[in-house]
Amino acid sequence: MTELLQNLIDGLGRGSIYALLALGVAVVFGIMHLLNFAHGELITIPGYLTYWAFQNNWSWWTVVPLIIVSAVLTSLLIERIAFSRVRGAKDFTLLLTSFGVHFIVAAGFLLYVGAAVKPYPRPDWFADTVSAGSLNVEVFDLVVIGVTIVVLAGTTWLLQRTMFGLALRAAASDFDTARLMGVKSDSVIRGAFALSGFLAGIAGVFWIMREGQMTPTAGIPPMLQGVLAALIGGLGSLRGAVLGGLVLGLAEVLLRSWLPVGIQNLTTGFVFVMIALLFIFRPGGLLSVPQVERV
Amino acid sequence: MFPNSKRDIAFPFLGSIVLFVVLFGGGLIYQTILGNGSAERLVTTMLVDAIIVIGIQIYIGNTGILSFGHIGFGAIAGYVFAVYAISPEEKLKRIPAAPFGLTETQVSPWLAIAIAVAVTLVFAVIVGIGLARSGAQSGSVAATVITLALLFVTHEVAKSWPELTGGNRGGISFGIGESLSGRWPILVVLFGSLVVARLYGQSRSGRLAIAAREDNLAARAMGVNPLVQQMVALLLSVAIVAIGSSLRVWQIGSILPDRFFFDYAMLTLVMLIVGGRNSVTGAVLGVAVMTAARELARRLGQNGFEVFGIGLDEPPLDWIFRENLNSVVLGVAMVAFMIWRPTGILEDWEFDQWLYRKIGRGGETKPERLSELETIPDATFTASDISVSFGGFQALSNAGITAQSGEVVGIIGPNGAGKTTFVNVITGMVEPTDGQFSIDGQALSGKASYELSRSGLVRTFQNLRLFGALTVRENIETAGLVAREHRSDRAVRDVDALMTEAGLWEHRDRRARELDYGNSRRLELARAAAMAPSFMLLDEPTSGMSDSESITMIEQVRHMAATVGAGVIVIDHDLGFITGISDRIYVFDQGKVIAEGTPAEVQANPHVQAAYLGSAAIT
Repeated sequence: MTELLQNLIDGLGRGSIYALLALGVAVVFGIMHLLNFAHGELITIPGYLTYWAFQNNWSWWTVVPLIIVSAVLTSLLIERIAFSRVRGAKDFTLLLTSFGVHFIVAAGFLLYVGAAVKPYPRPDWFADTVSAGSLNVEVFDLVVIGVTIVVLAGTTWLLQRTMFGLALRAAASDFDTARLMGVKSDSVIRGAFALSGFLAGIAGVFWIMREGQMTPTAGIPPMLQGVLAALIGGLGSLRGAVLGGLVLGLAEVLLRSWLPVGIQNLTTGFVFVMIALLFIFRPGGLLSVPQVERV
Repeated sequence: MFPNSKRDIAFPFLGSIVLFVVLFGGGLIYQTILGNGSAERLVTTMLVDAIIVIGIQIYIGNTGILSFGHIGFGAIAGYVFAVYAISPEEKLKRIPAAPFGLTETQVSPWLAIAIAVAVTLVFAVIVGIGLARSGAQSGSVAATVITLALLFVTHEVAKSWPELTGGNRGGISFGIGESLSGRWPILVVLFGSLVVARLYGQSRSGRLAIAAREDNLAARAMGVNPLVQQMVALLLSVAIVAIGSSLRVWQIGSILPDRFFFDYAMLTLVMLIVGGRNSVTGAVLGVAVMTAARELARRLGQNGFEVFGIGLDEPPLDWIFRENLNSVVLGVAMVAFMIWRPTGILEDWEFDQWLYRKIGRGGETKPERLSELETIPDATFTASDISVSFGGFQALSNAGITAQSGEVVGIIGPNGAGKTTFVNVITGMVEPTDGQFSIDGQALSGKASYELSRSGLVRTFQNLRLFGALTVRENIETAGLVAREHRSDRAVRDVDALMTEAGLWEHRDRRARELDYGNSRRLELARAAAMAPSFMLLDEPTSGMSDSESITMIEQVRHMAATVGAGVIVIDHDLGFITGISDRIYVFDQGKVIAEGTPAEVQANPHVQAAYLGSAAIT
């Protein structure tokens, strides 16, 4: 029982990070049908800045805002340089553009920072735990869950209660009509990328803290988890993205604890197989958005 | 299997020889000029890459589905090959505790390749089913993520199952007895893949896959089941990638998880995209161009060339000419092509088809116009008591029509009358709440759209859905391919004659997307007729046409239908066109059939006048 509870909290902690990443992926997907394979770069670029900041004796108090701000700016910059030029292009083109952006950034690190692992210190409370009876919970997980709840509440408010949120949801459901209704496409797309960058920035703070180091290809795992979680939840559904992230996190942790010791390191593989089964039985994801075929 | 043996077998074969000679010959010239071992290795690598890229082209090019997973399949093949091919002594060093008693097993490299292909194909079938379930079609995002997930699974398993794979650090290296010394196996496989890829593109399955790539819905309306063709393309493509990957492992002499991961997926994709993913010629060109570009970048980055006396790795250019420049080149090439030329250098230009049009075809004579069928095979279309409600809204209630072969039946009604819903029901797009429809008593309700057209109910689209990248002739041919298999008891007419009939003979080699509006409409009509339908369902065939064009269309529709002996059901809002073309008319209003009869009867009907003009006009 205790173990299960502990795993649940652990899984929710992981899942919260995935949920934030997935929500960022889903927001951009909704607005321009772009599945952003460069989403992980919203973590690597702030990640290398973190390394640089610690080289210059910054502390986590100043690094956290640096991560968030740089994630937002990176997101806007990538939109400006690459994605704005392929707006309205075919899905095939959009997918490969984002893949190419990922590759350019990763290769850029390789070129200018080098392949070597760049470490930086984790916050000193990182390994702390709190105990309640026989339950040992990592402070880190609690902080992640708490922050995620606040951020998700704020995002919900933004989407449901503000003009920007209304414009964004309208544009996501029917971009052309929204434009005819006076929604400014440029500003709403930029807004979506900024929001996506902000969410990735929050997730990035925790991801970067947890990793404790950066490599040129470190953006791949967060990108993959974000994209998969968005897909598990049902592409196009924002709620689905959050749900997908939590499910993915829980699945990873629970599976790892249930698998026999010898094959525990194959957890990721098993998670993928489960996802594949999910798609076979429920192709649209958990909260699938009905696709109407237009003639 | 091949519509035209000269165009679809002989020339593709000839073209494959030329592509092979150019690629290999270019490589030989390069290595002779440089005359060193590194040039020779570069050429060998290029030839192996070419095999894998051509394999990937078969899937991505013909289906339009972006796949990262082929390198994942390559990883599976590479490991199976390695585990079977290397010597037991080597295995004792690297993977002494291999499962399934594999440590003691050793087979010849060729048998190992065969096993690798077989095992990989099993995985391909599973992944293929998953792709089909996800509703994969050209540009599908979900399908691409599934393939991406496959790439990660294979990488993850390769890393974390060291008992079998040697893991991340050591990997498996061997020791097959001799490593691949001569190039001839690579050359044989390369030539074979070129031939297979070209023949597949021209084959029936390839054509149907390409049609679905161009327009999935229209392909299904022409009786194509895209999922079947995608599976065929996937298996063929994976088989070639598996052989290529085994050769890659054999040639390098070792395998590591990272050899078949993101970087290689990126390299092969860029090669495919830069040249032009829709053609094999493009794939080969891309391999050559990107190999050269990367090699140039590598040398510029490493050795610091001088150009016109300017040292490129010194200020002010030293920030760009650095080591690893070649991997940046890949990413930049990808993004640049996506922004400025997403279809690649050659788009879908295929060398052998160009050659065929130049020299192979000889003089073509325009065929005579088709005569109308003397005896029209009997057929009856019945739709009865069709009701559809969306939520609380009753879009159709108990609507029904019948039509006989040889007859033109018009359906007309004001906006919101339920015409479109009715069409959607009998084309399988909307499930009716109640009611059924059939041809000659064979129930059609609930069937998929490709089954409907195979059963003889073939539709056209209001907003024109042609296979844009295919030529006029290929558009009609595609429908003919399906007709010959599923409609052989009916009048399957000659493709060229149908083109003449539609007035498209002069445009036969133009791509459908280049046609003007009127010709596009006529092509859609001819394509539908090529299906040898029992009934043609024309959805607003005159939308966007001028009055005079509409009038010519009347004669064309009637004549085209008569040449294949089909009945016509035509939906339009243009009263003049409908009364001009129809033998009988059904008038829809508010989801019901309010009148039925000859044009004159219908026009005199007070209910019809009320529906069209408002009841005030007739009281």
